[in-house]
Amino acid sequence: MGFIFEGFSTALQLLLDGHPETWSAVAATVCVSSLSICVTVLLGAPLGFLLGYCRFPGRRAMRLCVDTLLSFPTVVIGLMVYGFISRSGPLGGFGLLFTLQGIALGQVLLGMPIVIAMVANAVENADDRLQMTLLTLGASGRQQLHATLWEVRYHLMLASVAAYGRIVSEVGISMMVGGNIKWHTRTITTAIALETGKGEFAMGVALGLVLLLIAFGVNIAVSGLKRRAAR
Amino acid sequence: MTALYACSNLLQHYNGRPVLSVDALSIQPGSITGVAGPNGSGKSTLMRILAFLEMPRQGRIVFDGVPVAGREARGGTEPAVLRKQATLLTQEPYLLRRTVADNVAYGLRVRGVARTETRVALALEEVGLVPAEFMSRQWYELSGGEAQRVALAARIVLEPRVLLLDEPTSSLDEESAERIRAAALHMREKHGCTLVIVSHDREWLSSVADSMITMRAGHMLP
Repeated sequence: MGFIFEGFSTALQLLLDGHPETWSAVAATVCVSSLSICVTVLLGAPLGFLLGYCRFPGRRAMRLCVDTLLSFPTVVIGLMVYGFISRSGPLGGFGLLFTLQGIALGQVLLGMPIVIAMVANAVENADDRLQMTLLTLGASGRQQLHATLWEVRYHLMLASVAAYGRIVSEVGISMMVGGNIKWHTRTITTAIALETGKGEFAMGVALGLVLLLIAFGVNIAVSGLKRRAAR
Repeated sequence: MTALYACSNLLQHYNGRPVLSVDALSIQPGSITGVAGPNGSGKSTLMRILAFLEMPRQGRIVFDGVPVAGREARGGTEPAVLRKQATLLTQEPYLLRRTVADNVAYGLRVRGVARTETRVALALEEVGLVPAEFMSRQWYELSGGEAQRVALAARIVLEPRVLLLDEPTSSLDEESAERIRAAALHMREKHGCTLVIVSHDREWLSSVADSMITMRAGHMLP
């Protein structure tokens, strides 16, 4: 037990002293996950609306696909993205391999099914009278999209927070696509895996504490938003 | 005078079950038409068709002399265009999850009207709600009757050519029902609005309507 307590005290010291390597991983994580969640929500929310609102052939099959993608292993996403952005891959020319943008691409694929599924669910479960009200007040298709997303805004925020929680805590994509390069693409989760493997328990704990803090914030947001959404 | 609505051979069915069959219906501009009948007689379906929210399986609708595009009629005016002229207040209206002022102003904003405050306040006064007291209230801070009147104000503010009211007094007390009656008459006098009103309260309906339609089992009774 002694080395665990020692690890915690050293971890706190690393964080409070502003240890550059530790904070570099934190900065990379915040940077890449913020980029990922912005793109995820911007693309996922309209797609979720279309899936929940429109009736078209193959909709149920598409819904099943999205629901299946919710449990897609991160290493498989990492593998697919690696294949696409490696030099010989179709997107190799963009030079995304071992960059934060490359990690973000994988994380968008990870977060999108969560946002699409949750928004589609919220739109499907929205009051039946909403569509008729918007139509009779003269809303166009785009205005209906905006108004409906506004009506389910707490569900949309809830979906964003849930997706962020998954994105920030993933390790497979960051490791495979980012390559865990020190000062560059090393994120909190890849650093924890590496440092713990090297026996640098304190740094792993320090980074784990930051991740826990983020998860705590995410959970507070989720519980608050759930209350608002239920109103 | 050209009829505002000229409908012929309207037939609507849901999942093969016929719910509405109207041979001919004509509504004159500026008139107030009352629609009465028991539950399930097709009144609400007729209202949704007149509001261009759904198109009949068969039949022809001519609005203001121009055919409306539908399942059988191609090349007429699109229902989406006409929805800007005819608006429906449903039996249990839905309020958007925003303030009363934003609810009433929504239809104006989708029409590109920027300054809405004065018109919103006037519409609220029209339905008997004090603007200073209600404008900033949230949707969940209203009683059933207040919500009904806010929804009516959201239609009145648009100054539509056609106002369709489906059971507008069902959750209102006598005084509020009288207020709705006055607002309906005012809409016609001031804006030349054509009204079609569904109500179970025949006495109230006959006090406001010029002519009456009685429906039973999807048909209009002679």
